Amino acid sequence: MENLLRRIGGRTLGRFQTLGRATIMWIQAMGWIPKTGEWSLLIRQVYSIGVLSIVIIGLSAFAIGAVLALQFYTQLSRFGAEDAVGAGLALVLLRELGPVVTGLLFAGRAGSAITAEIGLMKTTEQLSIMEMMGVDPLRRIVAPRLWGGIISMPLLTAIFNMVAIYGGVVVGVQWLGADAGGFWSGMQSAVEPLEDIGKGMVKAAIFALVVTWVAVFQGYDCEPTAEGMGLATTRTVVTSSVLILAIDFFLTLLMYGDF
Amino acid sequence: MRQDYVIEVEDLCFVRGEKVIFDHLNLKIRRGAITAVMGPSGTGKTTLLRVIGGQLKPDSGRVLLNGKDVCTMSRDELFRARRDIGMLFQTSALFTDMNVFENVAFPMRVHTDLPEDTIRDLVLMKLNAVGLRGARDLKPSQLSGGMARRVALARAIALDPDLIMYDEPFTGQDPISMGVILTLIRDLNDALGVSTLLVSHDIHETASIADYLFVIADGKVIGEGTPNELRDHPSSRIHQFMHGDPDGPVPFHYPADDFRFDLLSEVE
Repeated sequence: MENLLRRIGGRTLGRFQTLGRATIMWIQAMGWIPKTGEWSLLIRQVYSIGVLSIVIIGLSAFAIGAVLALQFYTQLSRFGAEDAVGAGLALVLLRELGPVVTGLLFAGRAGSAITAEIGLMKTTEQLSIMEMMGVDPLRRIVAPRLWGGIISMPLLTAIFNMVAIYGGVVVGVQWLGADAGGFWSGMQSAVEPLEDIGKGMVKAAIFALVVTWVAVFQGYDCEPTAEGMGLATTRTVVTSSVLILAIDFFLTLLMYGDF
Repeated sequence: MRQDYVIEVEDLCFVRGEKVIFDHLNLKIRRGAITAVMGPSGTGKTTLLRVIGGQLKPDSGRVLLNGKDVCTMSRDELFRARRDIGMLFQTSALFTDMNVFENVAFPMRVHTDLPEDTIRDLVLMKLNAVGLRGARDLKPSQLSGGMARRVALARAIALDPDLIMYDEPFTGQDPISMGVILTLIRDLNDALGVSTLLVSHDIHETASIADYLFVIADGKVIGEGTPNELRDHPSSRIHQFMHGDPDGPVPFHYPADDFRFDLLSEVE
């Protein structure tokens, strides 16, 4: 019994220590203001984290938009309400699926890559030698990736929303034959710029912060072995995904809850 | 006034978990000389380099780098102080996303405002010193272990440091690479007037270039002196280590029950 309590206590303390280390790292990295010559580090990260994720985000968005349009059309056409397909599609995407699915895809594609890259640098002592050269890895490696993710993900979410709506148009309007005028006017009247687009982008920014924080920390804090790197990469994807879904619930409750 | 010693380790204690790595360790590294710290594997040689470089904090004691205590420096002070230290890791630790030229240019680009053509000239000079000017465009994955270590050495001297620290520089090297690295360590020390701290358990190679040796075991310095003094040292532990005797104070056999008893006992 005593051993069990000791183990639980030890693990709890360990979790708090990890959270403390992660918070200190986050504060130090977030305070990074690029000097002359350091902007290229940020631009390179926006490219590798953001631009290189466009293909997977675009393909997934098109497929999701198409499926949503198909479902909406099938259900709504039974009541003769095909014109509401555009409105339903836009609201679901802008408020929920856009930020959430982009966040999940981002965690799987860019988050795991960030963790693996930083973890490998740690395992091969590249971070240590950087420290020994008088170069702070938090400024040079962690901060550009953190900011690169925070900048990229909301933009990817916007791209996701646009491509998904296009996928909905292709299936709903061009294939199934919903009226284009009704589709677009329904969407236009249902969507409030601040309420729907704005709040969706706030969600995207918060998810970006969480996913990149988890990804850089897992890489930076991983055990410098092959097994440690594998565990850290898995943890990034699992932790980020769970956090995105949990935070989304609370954000939706705060933003749209009527209580 | 410049001090005689570039590093002074005073009463250093370092414990990791239950294991005592350093138990009131004292040693001084003379300026301008090649000093080697030797000892069996697992005695904390690499840990000592990391404590000197401020990457690990000791439990007690002081580590003076040019008279300033590394252990009490702020993060910024520490990063500034490290610019005067060149370090060569056992793994070479080259940046895998950069080619050889960019690896050597990295410290110059980060710490100086030198124009690009000056950086180019300096990098080529450093690479020429290690014999790899022609390999400037290769990626680290295209280099052999020996070449990677020479590139890491060129990078370590990029900012003309006061002190170069080598962590097991001879491990895993073929005889030719070994000869090249030995020559480079000696020549760079003499030509650049730097101080050199080398940790290794390769006795013959280390003794052939070191001016002064420390042998550490059980967290303490158990012997020090010039290579010749240590070869004839009266202590049986140092004699065993310096001559590579398989048995002695450090026993060949891991502690076990009596061999005859073991053989005659029943299989469990």
